[in-house]
Amino acid sequence: MDWFNQPETLVVEVAEPLRVSELSAIIEDLLEDSRLQDVYVRGEVTNYTHHARGHRYFSLSEKGSGHNAAVIKCVMWRSDADRLAFSPEEGMEVIVTGSVRLYAPHGTYQLQIRSMRRAGLGEKFLLLEKWKKELAAEGLFAAERKRPLPEYPGKIGVVTSETGAVIHDITTVVERRFPVEIIISPTAVQGEDAHVHISRAIRRLSGKVDVIIVARGGGSFEDLFPFNNPDVVRAIAGSPVPVVSAVGHEVDVTLSDLAADIRAPTPSAAAELVVPDRKVLLVRLGELGIQLGCSLRARVVRAKEEVDDLRDRLRPGKFIRRLDEKKQGIADLSDRLGRAFTNRVEKEHLFLAEMKAALEGRSPLAVLARGYCVAEKEGIVVKAADLVQGDKIRIRFHDGRSTVIVESVERENNDRNV
Amino acid sequence: MTETYEAKIGQLKQIIEKIEDGNTGLDESIRLYEQGAALVRQCESLLAEAEVKISTLSRDS
Repeated sequence: MDWFNQPETLVVEVAEPLRVSELSAIIEDLLEDSRLQDVYVRGEVTNYTHHARGHRYFSLSEKGSGHNAAVIKCVMWRSDADRLAFSPEEGMEVIVTGSVRLYAPHGTYQLQIRSMRRAGLGEKFLLLEKWKKELAAEGLFAAERKRPLPEYPGKIGVVTSETGAVIHDITTVVERRFPVEIIISPTAVQGEDAHVHISRAIRRLSGKVDVIIVARGGGSFEDLFPFNNPDVVRAIAGSPVPVVSAVGHEVDVTLSDLAADIRAPTPSAAAELVVPDRKVLLVRLGELGIQLGCSLRARVVRAKEEVDDLRDRLRPGKFIRRLDEKKQGIADLSDRLGRAFTNRVEKEHLFLAEMKAALEGRSPLAVLARGYCVAEKEGIVVKAADLVQGDKIRIRFHDGRSTVIVESVERENNDRNV
Repeated sequence: MTETYEAKIGQLKQIIEKIEDGNTGLDESIRLYEQGAALVRQCESLLAEAEVKISTLSRDS
């Protein structure tokens, strides 16, 4: 049949045409089938938009080949969306409750969702708890395992996706703060076997770098799940160099974060932890330069003090004074010696004179000097009683002798010694 | 290059300590000072001339 050439007049109008709204109403009636009310559906979130008014629009899809693939448009009004315990994201598996409704203005049907929760989380949370216990028992999260980061790393390894903001953020920060060599070990960061790639990417850096950053941008619990995998955790713990983790947002803590030597809240923060700030280093270097100058100045001042001290000790005035003091000492001693000698000699003289005087006083001849004389007869000193007239006696004077003849003798009674 | 920076900073600190130590002679101190000043200049230029270098490992290894 040639539909295109058929004249319009031949179209048989058996009844009044339905208005679009009437057809819409019939469809709406059909959709009120009880099988389409309060349904419980599992699917993957796609084309997610968070409307400014708070409503959420997205599709639930089921991947499959050919006609097995299916998709249904969904809406969640703000009043229901406000009660959501998580932020739905593209690709997230969810389980929803809602009813199918027609949206007449667009001629589409959609699932009006009243509540939504994440699918498969229960199992993953259980697995996470099990891994956490096992790895903790191996001591992989122990505080005493944590190593300090090198102060001046020469090469930084970055385990992350080659594309995307993370690597850009890290290189930007490193370039600004302290440009060093960055070695990227690219890896898939999400997906079924991401953990295999991530742990391989970490091990690949072994021996090539001084420190490793393992980073991934924010994502859902499931997106970050590979970073909980024991393969990744063991690769981090087994790294010969310190590892900084920056996985997801600050609130999402993965087991990788627990095993890392230090955890950074963001990839940029990880880069800041890993490299020192050139500006700060320059300031510190300046301070060291000043300290160097000060130390030399202090050394010179000390040397000057030493010289001053030596000069003081060597000053000629002092030297001469000490010499004079010595001379004075010698002169004093010499004086004392002279005085002592003189005194002694004088004393001896005096003593001798005394002795002489005493001796002279005791000599019988001494009295002769005072004008006395001694009479001797035949060599013997005589008294008047011994004499008779005519005796020849010798008279001894102080200054000589004489021989005399006794003319008379007059005796006296007193016994006077001649 | 940063390894040498670290080493140079270490040397510089040792030099300062030596000069501050009372047992180092004045001649030796002056010589050390000159050495230290040269290290400061070298470190400054290391910081000024540092450039970021980025390479990517192959995934196949």
